[in-house]
Amino acid sequence: MMTTKIQLIIGFFLMVAFLSIVQMIKKRKLELKYALSWLGAILFVFLFDCFPILLNKLSSFLGIWAPVNMIFFLGFCFALLIIFILTVTLSRMSERVRKLSQAIALNEEKIDVLIKEQECLRNKLQEDERQYM
Amino acid sequence: MKSLVIIPAYNEEKSIEKTVQDITEHAPEFDYVIVNDCSRDATLEVCREKGMHVLNLPVNLGIGGAVQTGYVYAEKNHYDFAIQFDGDGQHDARYLHEMRDYMTEHGVNMLIGSRFITKEGFQSSGLRRFGIRYFSVLIRLLTGKKVTDPTSGMRMVDKEIIRIYADCYPKDYPEPESVVAVIRQKKKVEEYPVVMREREEGRSSISPLKSVYYMVKVTLAILVEALR
Repeated sequence: MMTTKIQLIIGFFLMVAFLSIVQMIKKRKLELKYALSWLGAILFVFLFDCFPILLNKLSSFLGIWAPVNMIFFLGFCFALLIIFILTVTLSRMSERVRKLSQAIALNEEKIDVLIKEQECLRNKLQEDERQYM
Repeated sequence: MKSLVIIPAYNEEKSIEKTVQDITEHAPEFDYVIVNDCSRDATLEVCREKGMHVLNLPVNLGIGGAVQTGYVYAEKNHYDFAIQFDGDGQHDARYLHEMRDYMTEHGVNMLIGSRFITKEGFQSSGLRRFGIRYFSVLIRLLTGKKVTDPTSGMRMVDKEIIRIYADCYPKDYPEPESVVAVIRQKKKVEEYPVVMREREEGRSSISPLKSVYYMVKVTLAILVEALR
């Protein structure tokens, strides 16, 4: 079982992680939307850190002999889930980048055409003026 | 009938001018648009200097994204026909008229310029031909449609397909996959015999190292497309 010492150490690191994530959200370096899963994970681990008995209960409920195995297993699953969600997000992002770049290219072309038309008009005007003078 | 030639260009500073000249000479009533896919050489400068019509992508999207930009442009400007045309001098603008006439005469939605009907001109290397044959067989098995040159970058499409492609077009190595997408939607796809030249400048985007990835990715993409 866990000693109070390791409980305190884990608690300390969880606290540091929590505060730095909150700090990053405050400074808008991290979007709350994407930080939620990490905050949730910290809360989850903190719960087990405070009440280690929950770990034993859960592992015996899931039919896993050693609680430590369960931690590895659940941690692994959680990490995979987050990576997968990130891949989905990435696909969506690249789709958006594509649409945006295409829109920019099309707009730029429109501007080019407008500038050319304007120049034509200006030249015409100048010619007309010259003719009337 | 408004027709647009879409020329995707990535690092084609040496051949882009020739390509455009070829089109303005041999197919003067076709509009053209170059899609500069964030080239690292002077492609954009050459285009601007010569006053060529260019769409300039701010980031590199790859061939699929670049070509699609052309289709979006074609859709927004109400073109009746659009044809993809490589910027490296492989394709011959003299076919543009013939192909469009063939499409209107036979009511075809999509016409692919194929090197392998008359088997004239540049036929690509043996290994590459084998790959093309493989995709051809795969497409035939999945759709029942015979396409001799599914990787051909020279394809003319009508208004309907322009709309489909403007909405959705594969990102990398898009040719075989996009053909299957069109066949699956029960559109009329045919091939037209053309002679292609060996590219004058630049190299194929598919290096030997990437070809394994290419085969696997395109195979899966075709399978997914057939399952949709």
